[in-house]
Amino acid sequence: MERRTFPGGVHVPHFKELTEHKPIVRAREPKRIVLPLSQHTGAPCEPLVREGDHVKLGQKIGASEAFVSAPIHSSVSGTVAAVQPFLHPALGREVLSIIIDSDGQDSVHEEVRPKGDYASFSVDEVKRMIREAGIVGLGGAAFPTAVKVSPPKEKRIDAYILNGAECEPFLTADHRLMLERPEDILYGLKVLMYAVGVQNGYICIEDNKPDALREMRKVAANEPSIKVVELKTRYPQGSEKQIIKAVLNREVPPGGLPFDVGVMVSNVGTAAAVADVFKKGLPLVERVVTVTGHALVDQQNFQVKIGTLFSDLIDQVGGYKVEPGKIIMGGPMMGIAQMTAEVPVIKGTSGILVLTRQQADWGEPSPCIKCAKCVDACPVNLLPVFIGGYAEREMYDVAESMNALDCIECGCCAYVCPARRPLTQAIRVAKWEINERRKKRGKK
Amino acid sequence: MEKPDLLYSPPPHLNSGDTVTRAMRDVLLALVPIIIVSIIFYRLNAIFILIVCNVTAACTAWGMRKLMGKPHSLEDLSAFVTGTLLALALPPTFPWWLAVIGTFLAVGVAKEMCGGLGWNLFNPAVFGRVALIILAPAFVWLNADMAPLHLRFGIIDVTSGATPLALLKLGQGQLLPSYSALFIAHPGGSMAESSVLAVLIGGLYLLFKGHINWRTPVFAIGTVFALTMLLGSNPFYHVLAGGLVFGSFFMATDWVTTPITDAGKIIFGIGMGILVALIRLYQAAPEGVAFSILLMNPLVPLIDALTRPRKFGQIVEARIPVIRIKTVSK
Repeated sequence: MERRTFPGGVHVPHFKELTEHKPIVRAREPKRIVLPLSQHTGAPCEPLVREGDHVKLGQKIGASEAFVSAPIHSSVSGTVAAVQPFLHPALGREVLSIIIDSDGQDSVHEEVRPKGDYASFSVDEVKRMIREAGIVGLGGAAFPTAVKVSPPKEKRIDAYILNGAECEPFLTADHRLMLERPEDILYGLKVLMYAVGVQNGYICIEDNKPDALREMRKVAANEPSIKVVELKTRYPQGSEKQIIKAVLNREVPPGGLPFDVGVMVSNVGTAAAVADVFKKGLPLVERVVTVTGHALVDQQNFQVKIGTLFSDLIDQVGGYKVEPGKIIMGGPMMGIAQMTAEVPVIKGTSGILVLTRQQADWGEPSPCIKCAKCVDACPVNLLPVFIGGYAEREMYDVAESMNALDCIECGCCAYVCPARRPLTQAIRVAKWEINERRKKRGKK
Repeated sequence: MEKPDLLYSPPPHLNSGDTVTRAMRDVLLALVPIIIVSIIFYRLNAIFILIVCNVTAACTAWGMRKLMGKPHSLEDLSAFVTGTLLALALPPTFPWWLAVIGTFLAVGVAKEMCGGLGWNLFNPAVFGRVALIILAPAFVWLNADMAPLHLRFGIIDVTSGATPLALLKLGQGQLLPSYSALFIAHPGGSMAESSVLAVLIGGLYLLFKGHINWRTPVFAIGTVFALTMLLGSNPFYHVLAGGLVFGSFFMATDWVTTPITDAGKIIFGIGMGILVALIRLYQAAPEGVAFSILLMNPLVPLIDALTRPRKFGQIVEARIPVIRIKTVSK
């Protein structure tokens, strides 16, 4: 069987053995949930409830008029305890959030009922349902799915890629989902293809998950328009641009988006969430979260209600085995470090990773020896050695001239660096500075 | 739940576990085969030169950094890599005081005075070797004064005989050793020249470990082979004799002083190969590997600037690349 891949990248030990054979279990009912009003790329929502209000499971409690946005629903039934700023796991600052005390009843909101067959609705109705259900990309960036499936009219889309690469080490949420709910994933993909009007679907899985490949092939056997593609295990295979290159050999232009080369990419988890909308009527109120890491007593794949606190889930695997060095939302390559475990699971939380102090502490960087390992590893052909170097010296104009903005922040360069130089970290700062300067220039 | 003291930094949070020290250690390991062959041929002479160069390298690195108020960095092993490479590039009976001077120039001047590891423009070991060749006449008086202190450890089979490349130059082809002898092990010249096989084993180890890129040595050796053949010399001797294989695998692949791009590595190899062939065939000197590498070193920033890879997703326009050298002050 042909296995496809992309140029560059690195081999990363995947540490998936900690959880890959553990079925998804439902996390215990949270007593209190925290729902930030911004869980997606785009405009934050306005709260629709007030302190003291009673809410039901699946009830819309936050929404926005903006096109690029996604409403937020309650994942429990209970009483709104407060609407106040709370530390956000992705933004690293306090964001207006709705805090709800669960009554443990899970009484479901009236609007939550199966929608029925997607093909009986018009494309616009399907898109509206996806939007109303608050679906966002579950791979991490949390881009509103309804917006994604509405590309500009002049773009011709001919392929929909469902991303099951899950190339981040440690994470197994997508893997377990493919094993346990392959029909739903397939159904979700068909809905998405219907919404965009494309005939070719690809479900792409790295070859370190042969069981997932087998399951998905089994359910997709009778779907002539959907292919299951085996990808070589290589980080960052699951990056949007890299997976398109691997599967279709098309390169998204610098600064462009997948629709510029006629492709849509969604995560397998997103497809399963879309299936839930039509089959159960359930908006996005729960997701699979891998709670893992060597600093924990145990590791687990949980079905988690969005809004559950990290500390609650860490408690459920027995807490810390050794002193934790770093708590990360997501995987170790692109995940976001947390200042505390008192932050909620949001729509984009694919995992909670707790590294030991030893794993997390890189020691002091030594001088760059120009070994060019970062150059070989960069999947978008940049020269991280130079960009990172200029960024560290705050020479952002030069960093920009070396195409710093094309960096996809996959982390390969810093991962391979024998001098332990914080290359990706420095380039991220440079990108931020360059964008700020551009904004300023635009204003003048 | 008690509040743990957490580290907080941007991603990535995982690293390959590689360190500069480990990479340097691998280079030293890769030199073990040729060191063994040298010791078999030259006994204590080889060991003595290796010790002289390494001790000088360590003392120079330590002393220079102390003078400049920097923390010492002996644990990165780079001083020992330079010391060992320079020792191997010397003949086994080389006067030890010159070896000390050469090592001092290599580590002290070419490396530490240029900012230390990672900042040097010239390959330190090659710089030291070439400095010794150029400065040799200046040290005639010193050699006379120091002669009584010259140490010799036992008799060496082939000491002052002409090297194969010199024989080739002199047109004394009948005295040349066989290809297989040159490939497997043949004394003469600098220590590193004594066995192509031993050098290759080390080079392949570095390739296998991912520390060096195949492009530079392959294109350097290939260019010398092709050019010497075209120009009517014996290409096999030009590859097997002299320091070409050693220089290509261990000096032209030095991380700091060679290009970072794949295309740049090819250009560096070809440029070096052309220079080696021209020096060997048209200059008085029989050997030119060290000179060639030293001449290519300062071109590296230019080569890197010219060979910036195509951006992912960028459509390449066929045009002559514009050289933009930015001088930035900060």
